[in-house]
Amino acid sequence: MGGRRTLTILRSRPFLTLAIVAAVWIAASFVSRGFGAYGHLRYLVELAAVIGLVAAGQTFVVIAGGIDLSVAAIVTVSAVSLPLLSWQADPTGLTAVLAVLALTTTIGLVNGLGVALLRVHPMIMTLAMATFLQGLLIIIAGGSAVTAENPLVRWLGNARPAGIPAGVLLWVAVSVIVLAAMHATSFGARLFAIGANPLAATLSGVPVASTTLAVYAISGFTSGLAGVLVLGMNGQGYVGIGDPYLLASIAAVVLGGTSILGGLGTYAGTIPGAILLVTITALITVVNASPGWRSILFGSLILGLLLLSGREQARR
Amino acid sequence: MLATAPLLAARGVSKSFFGNPVLRDVSIALQPGRVHALLGENGAGKSTLINLLSGALRPDGGAIEVDGRPVSRMTPAYAQQAGIAVVQQELSLTASLSIAENIGLGAYPRRFGLLDYPELAVRARAACDLVGLDEPLSMPVGHLSLGRRQMVEIAKALYRRPRVLILDEPTSSLSATETKVLTNLLERLRGERIAILYISHRLNEVMALCQHVTVLKDGTCTADRSLEGTDANELVRLMVGRDPGDLFPRWQASALAANAISVRNFSAGLMRDVDLDVRTGEVLGIGGLVGQGQEDLLLGLYGAIPARTASATVNGALGLPGGVPKANALGLAYVPADRKREGLHLIHSIITNMMLPAFARLPALKLRSRRAERETARGLAAQLGIKGDLGRPAQALSGGNQQKVALAKWMPHHPLALLLNDPTRGVDVETKREIYMMLRNFAAAGKAVVLLSSDTPELVHLCDRVAVVREGQIVAMLERGALSEEAIVSAAMGAEHQKVAA
Repeated sequence: MGGRRTLTILRSRPFLTLAIVAAVWIAASFVSRGFGAYGHLRYLVELAAVIGLVAAGQTFVVIAGGIDLSVAAIVTVSAVSLPLLSWQADPTGLTAVLAVLALTTTIGLVNGLGVALLRVHPMIMTLAMATFLQGLLIIIAGGSAVTAENPLVRWLGNARPAGIPAGVLLWVAVSVIVLAAMHATSFGARLFAIGANPLAATLSGVPVASTTLAVYAISGFTSGLAGVLVLGMNGQGYVGIGDPYLLASIAAVVLGGTSILGGLGTYAGTIPGAILLVTITALITVVNASPGWRSILFGSLILGLLLLSGREQARR
Repeated sequence: MLATAPLLAARGVSKSFFGNPVLRDVSIALQPGRVHALLGENGAGKSTLINLLSGALRPDGGAIEVDGRPVSRMTPAYAQQAGIAVVQQELSLTASLSIAENIGLGAYPRRFGLLDYPELAVRARAACDLVGLDEPLSMPVGHLSLGRRQMVEIAKALYRRPRVLILDEPTSSLSATETKVLTNLLERLRGERIAILYISHRLNEVMALCQHVTVLKDGTCTADRSLEGTDANELVRLMVGRDPGDLFPRWQASALAANAISVRNFSAGLMRDVDLDVRTGEVLGIGGLVGQGQEDLLLGLYGAIPARTASATVNGALGLPGGVPKANALGLAYVPADRKREGLHLIHSIITNMMLPAFARLPALKLRSRRAERETARGLAAQLGIKGDLGRPAQALSGGNQQKVALAKWMPHHPLALLLNDPTRGVDVETKREIYMMLRNFAAAGKAVVLLSSDTPELVHLCDRVAVVREGQIVAMLERGALSEEAIVSAAMGAEHQKVAA
């Protein structure tokens, strides 16, 4: 029994992705001096935390059979609107952070309303939302960067309690909650049912509309959280700060073995998926190519990795 | 007869999947001008044999022969060239294409390299006329009922002018009239010396239509003989491997009881202003031609589609349930007809499928107990005779067992009324008997069963009353004493209406 269980874990997609990460790290540390240093690897995981947070909500949405193309815009909304909020009344800065998270959760909720009640296709709904938010941001913030003076945000981006970056600790905490919600609650079980066969889920009494609402709200929340973290790490927020996280979040989800068709997958795969993405980016930076070539390389590598780690079988 | 070589034959073919033998040394010969029945329970190997004959699968051992000559590499393309056409049980039509386009798909007539629509229309019309399809050719197939789609599928096979026609359960979704049209058609094709292989679970059809029979049981051939002088019970014995006994449990009157469901002026989908009472302790049948609104009746009661009513009582509560979760809370449970599309999550494990209604009604953040889930599922599986590892995905199960899972998932919630949409379609005899037994016991326990069925004998032998639906109305409510296949069919087709007029 124990042997069979070990075998299942060894064969699972999350483990495979983790193995690829380890292999790339080991290979890269031989090629490039300093890549394998603890400080550098810690830095990679810290960067991965932002992707991991955005991809947490994305994993929920994708498992439930949807997709959220507004995550990048929501990250930007969070990172740009937070510095604009005054925190003087509350010396910790917590109130402002909570207000921003409430705002991004509401944005997600509106996405969910469009998808669940107005039956707009998730791609259209969230893409429209992203475009809308970008316009709004340009009007409010213009082209200038805003500096974050919020103590909590600064702490999150720079503190290292016990040598571990605060952002990574936040990611660990979120991961635990996400994994529990996904695999240990009836809410999680409903997600998978809706993603695999929405019609059968409806006829089995699953409250499809409210579950869909919750899923997009969660995605808004975790994107907002990622925005707070990226602002803290960056010190400044500007329009476009969230842009890299759209493709990254979807790639991390898919690299981790979650089916883009919905109904199958786990956040346990998205975590190494996010780390793998950051690692690839770091490797490309080492190669020292022009930005154009970097993008081309990045795209090709993701495609190659997906082909390598198994394409999805056709579903009947 | 012996002198002519069979048009298509399998000689001692074997096939296994992942080391599991599915067919062992099976032979079958399709002669011109003969309707050949292929019988067997679900999982006996019928579909595999068809796939071998049509080139979709390659045999591990043995040979496929066309016109008496062995074919070394049978492929679907070669089969089509050789005039072999298969009407699959799983419909292979494209919903958004028109009837004509579906019929011609893959064999479009061409002119100057372009699709020749006028020619396609002429030839598709001819094929449609053969099966009695009078819908406009440009209508998208998605707009047709399941039964009409089945006829399109048959027309598609005929369009290719086959010499060998293989029909996999063609009547499972057909109404009585459509079945009649098909029967006449097959008689005619037989006269044109076409070889026909006919797979069906309906023995009376087989007895009436076919001349020769091959019976499969667990992948081996248990009979290959003329149907003359064979009776239905004997065939069942060959399929099941034991005495059939009675398919239907003995009917017993239940104590007269209260109304479980009662609606007045109920409208939903095609149904218009219908009054209906479903009593506790009864099996109420819903009959009629396919697509007259019967399904809308069930879905409307279940809260799955919008419904209006003047007054309604459901298990003591006033008014119709406003949605499926509410209907479940009122003790209603629904088992859909299309178990693959509507009933199950095929890619998920059997356990998860069985537990889904529980997940749906528990508080969202309630923690799951995998051990308790396993135990519940194991209990249900034992109760319903579902064998094997419950961690397998549901798609690994045979059709009959899938249907059992679709039923089983409601049992832990002790529903007060079961709404069943054709629960025995494409289900083998043994499973049918088990399901009938369950339904009768369910009714005997003082609960209500509404059984929508396209299988008329089922309605006659299992139900306390049968409501016959035509054009969105309940045109007859037949009590137990007045139940007969003739009564149901004539009410369904409006025969008594003509009598009044005459």
